[in-house]
Amino acid sequence: MAQTYEELPGVEWVEGAGDFVQVIAENCDGCANCVRVCLGDCFEITDRKARVKSLEKCMECASCWYVCAAGAISFSWPPGGKGFRTDWG
Amino acid sequence: MLDYDVVIVGAGFGGPVAAKKCAEAGLRTLMLERSQRVGEKVISGLTIPFYGFLFAPAFIRDGNPPIERPVDGIINYIIKDVESGDIDVDESLRVPKPFSPVIAFGYNAYCQPFCQWEAEKALEAGAELRTSITVVDVLRENGRIAGVRTDSGEDIRARIVIDAEGSQGLLAIKAGVREKYPPEAISLADIYDYEIDKDELDMLMGHTLRFCWGWDEQKLAPPLGQGNGLMVWPYRGSIHFMQDQCLRLASGDVPNLKKLFREYHDNITTKLPWWRDEIAPRIKLRARMWESFEIYVGLDRELREMPNHTDGMILIGDAAGLESTELCDGVPAAWFSADIAADVAIEALRAGDTSREFLARYDERIRDHPIIQWSITASNRFNLRFAQEHHDLEEFKRYVHDGWGLGGFSHVSTPLVQSILRALAEDPTIITAWIRMFFRYYFNWIYERYDYSGGKELPARDTAARPRAAQTVFRGALGAADTMLRAFSPALKGAASLAEPLSRFANPAMQAMLPLLEAAVRGMVKMERFTGLVSDKIVDFVRRADPATFDPPRRKGS
Repeated sequence: MAQTYEELPGVEWVEGAGDFVQVIAENCDGCANCVRVCLGDCFEITDRKARVKSLEKCMECASCWYVCAAGAISFSWPPGGKGFRTDWG
Repeated sequence: MLDYDVVIVGAGFGGPVAAKKCAEAGLRTLMLERSQRVGEKVISGLTIPFYGFLFAPAFIRDGNPPIERPVDGIINYIIKDVESGDIDVDESLRVPKPFSPVIAFGYNAYCQPFCQWEAEKALEAGAELRTSITVVDVLRENGRIAGVRTDSGEDIRARIVIDAEGSQGLLAIKAGVREKYPPEAISLADIYDYEIDKDELDMLMGHTLRFCWGWDEQKLAPPLGQGNGLMVWPYRGSIHFMQDQCLRLASGDVPNLKKLFREYHDNITTKLPWWRDEIAPRIKLRARMWESFEIYVGLDRELREMPNHTDGMILIGDAAGLESTELCDGVPAAWFSADIAADVAIEALRAGDTSREFLARYDERIRDHPIIQWSITASNRFNLRFAQEHHDLEEFKRYVHDGWGLGGFSHVSTPLVQSILRALAEDPTIITAWIRMFFRYYFNWIYERYDYSGGKELPARDTAARPRAAQTVFRGALGAADTMLRAFSPALKGAASLAEPLSRFANPAMQAMLPLLEAAVRGMVKMERFTGLVSDKIVDFVRRADPATFDPPRRKGS
């Protein structure tokens, strides 16, 4: 099954990607850098900590991981064949 | 447990090049790709510059890869005040007619079909490919890399692992070879793919790329030098639109890219006259994507000098931080490094030594590669930030001219001449291979004739309309040139080797001669009313010709 979104045409998300991006709450200082750079709107801040809201529009760019100075974001690739795909890259 | 000589992680632009060469050398070679279909997670706004093809492995240069459109130049818009339309234009970098459009400055391409074409060539050579497999870690044995572990828990042993996973470099970090890059070295690219009628696009953009740069206060594009302004690529019947911005600015701030990219896109698409008036009414959004890439890794000495190998493992392409700092192109360096990695892997396995000491020759060859080194250290794009700081228009224009205008030749000539001389020293007939390549690629572009599973059948054409005399002249001239080049091969090889040290004078010589070159190109452009007729004749010749005319000689009769 693949999911699509009207505001992000031309891209499909194959279900089953799992939690390939995670916030390690004890390391997070709530700086919200991840929220600022994520074009897929994957993060939110609650109780001064970042949390992954949803990875359903994640394009696996790892920007969140790069900007997290606190080392609170773990980033890995989704399992084989899962996550986003496009013909128009 | 599966056992291979070489396991290549990632089948993007670099992986299949390494796989093909290793397989041809008789090595048991496996490519692992995490997407379901090769290339469907590779995103770019892509022009592969001519030097990529000239010095690429022979199968690309002599082959028929899927391209979207030949490119003959760049038009740079230097936006001083978009509201009043105060915009300077630098369109000095162009291949003038009659050479254009057949002799191209580069080729635009979609990533998925191109990567697939490459992977199919590797498979034909005997490499294996497994898709939908994510590599999660390396296997270690006696302190060396001995293979990889997949997401299903499968262990695959390899005598050498070639890491071609892309810029994030997760595997290289796990292997302890490299570290995560700082955010100021990474840029996030926001990309739109728009459909447009091909005939209208031919008329509106032809074969030119459009780059738009503006003062920061115009809010049309990321801050100068900290990403790229609007870059627009014409494909066959579509346009790629891209802006990118560094994840951390010189101020130390992490920008709110979600908000900023929307602002840039809205401003530039509604205010930039040629986009607003000519392009916008004719396009339909087909895809919106983003990707990050290692924009400035090459400019940071510490990052640049991180190793690209360890015991039993070699890193190539973006995984080795080889993105070009100026033109934003990663494909040529991916091809070159993949080719070198395959050579080194073959040598290492023949010598039975895959230690880091033996593999150190890989890093030495990367450092010795003139084009790679130029492309990862060129600084005009980075320097644009100083033009903004000084708010100096002349400085702004100079960096643009030296980066994406004809001024580029004052710093690309040395690596280019050196690479040409090295190629000639290896095989002088490469000259005719280059000429055939430009003509064949143009023919392929007209008919979408690409030799892979996604290619189209050549439409039935009127063979009576073949330009037989011109074909004979073309074949005869190149055949004679080949004969001459082969006859004088030892002398030519020797002369090219001897001349190589002189290549270092190419940049200063070009610097001195730049005014002349600029005048010559301007003069040729003025003549295009006449030379355009010749160009049209050449295009007509290619269109009507038997494609075998442009095939490499070794294919004849096969």
